[in-house]
Amino acid sequence: MTVIECRGLTKDYGRNRALNGLTIKIEENKITGLIGRNGAGKTTLLKIIAGHIKETAGEIKVFSERPFNNLTVSANVIFIHDQMNLPTALNLMEILEAASSFYENWDQALANRLFDYFSFNPLQQYNGLSKGMKSTFHTILGLSARCPLTLLDEPTTGMDAAVRKDFYRALLKDYLAYPRSIIISSHHLNEIEDLLEDILLMKDGKEHLHLPAADFKEWAIGIQGKTGLVHEWTKEREILHTKSMGPDQSYVVVRNDLLEHELQKARATGIDFSPVTPSDLCVYLTSKSKGGIDDVFNKD
Amino acid sequence: MNLNLDGSKPIYLQVSEWLEREILNGNFGSDQKIYSQYQLAEIFNINPATAAKGLNILADENILYKKRGLGMFVAGTAKEMILNKRKNQTLKRLVQEIVLEAERLNVSKAELIDMIKAANIGEVEE
Repeated sequence: MTVIECRGLTKDYGRNRALNGLTIKIEENKITGLIGRNGAGKTTLLKIIAGHIKETAGEIKVFSERPFNNLTVSANVIFIHDQMNLPTALNLMEILEAASSFYENWDQALANRLFDYFSFNPLQQYNGLSKGMKSTFHTILGLSARCPLTLLDEPTTGMDAAVRKDFYRALLKDYLAYPRSIIISSHHLNEIEDLLEDILLMKDGKEHLHLPAADFKEWAIGIQGKTGLVHEWTKEREILHTKSMGPDQSYVVVRNDLLEHELQKARATGIDFSPVTPSDLCVYLTSKSKGGIDDVFNKD
Repeated sequence: MNLNLDGSKPIYLQVSEWLEREILNGNFGSDQKIYSQYQLAEIFNINPATAAKGLNILADENILYKKRGLGMFVAGTAKEMILNKRKNQTLKRLVQEIVLEAERLNVSKAELIDMIKAANIGEVEE
């Protein structure tokens, strides 16, 4: 079943176009990683899916309904982000209790266990929490709500490495026990890639690549060797990234459409092939110039 | 449990290779039920779809067989097939790499063969 379907989805903030004709389909019970540079439109997309803001043009269906001002969507979606408006008059335990009344599948026992594990004080006020502790508290809400559609917008902001690791594991374990649709946006693809089934890469308010995470890993290949030889292999291919490695050595990233016998032939001439990590690939695909930051310093 | 020791390899391949090792080590015998995709996901902290891909590779090679609704089981000839595959693919590739590196370093064939013999403890005494 399809959980989210967008066609030509567009959102303008004044003169600024945040989403520009996005067309995607997200299937049920998958963990999808939402990846993109700052300003690519990730948060805007999540806000529209959650029904918090209205689209300017195009079509969006969440559980087959238009999400804006929609009760079905509100009841079945939880949207976790770093600017959540939680009541300041309640202490942390009271917030959890209040949250439990909103969500049908809420698991109070899980909420309590996570709450204790991360050493929260039930009587503490939300506003007194540090940045990382706020994020951790949000993710407790996000996991315990067990919503059929869980949206996590950079959930690990401010968390230390140990807490991030615990959170990823908690997310996976709860997903295995209670499969549901999860979208997680992050700038740390290397940390979450193993958890993901699909990766949705956004660029300039549009979908750029939407692939199974496993295919993403093999989508591109790095070629390194003598510049002339490397050029032989890359001249008829689209170059995604290029870097000069000293006087006569180049490193070039291209689409991985080389066949095994071609690879062997090239290896014999002294060319090295290396996989491109998804997180590097995303940087290459979304950068404005082929040479990256080096170009800025090469204008002499 | 930590995978990704070799970050260059896709996770599902690492999973299938790990399962092969488990079978070779005798931790899973013939017709024994192997881990489910969910157990593998939990063990390695990976998406269950990735784990399923690792299992399916072995099922495609008939090293595992599926029983509807029950899961995947180790084939009777699994060990043999894995050994053959490793010999004909993995070992062959490693040998090619060694030969290539030897050429780069101007190591002669005879010298290379001596090195292989020296590395093989059983033949050191010869």
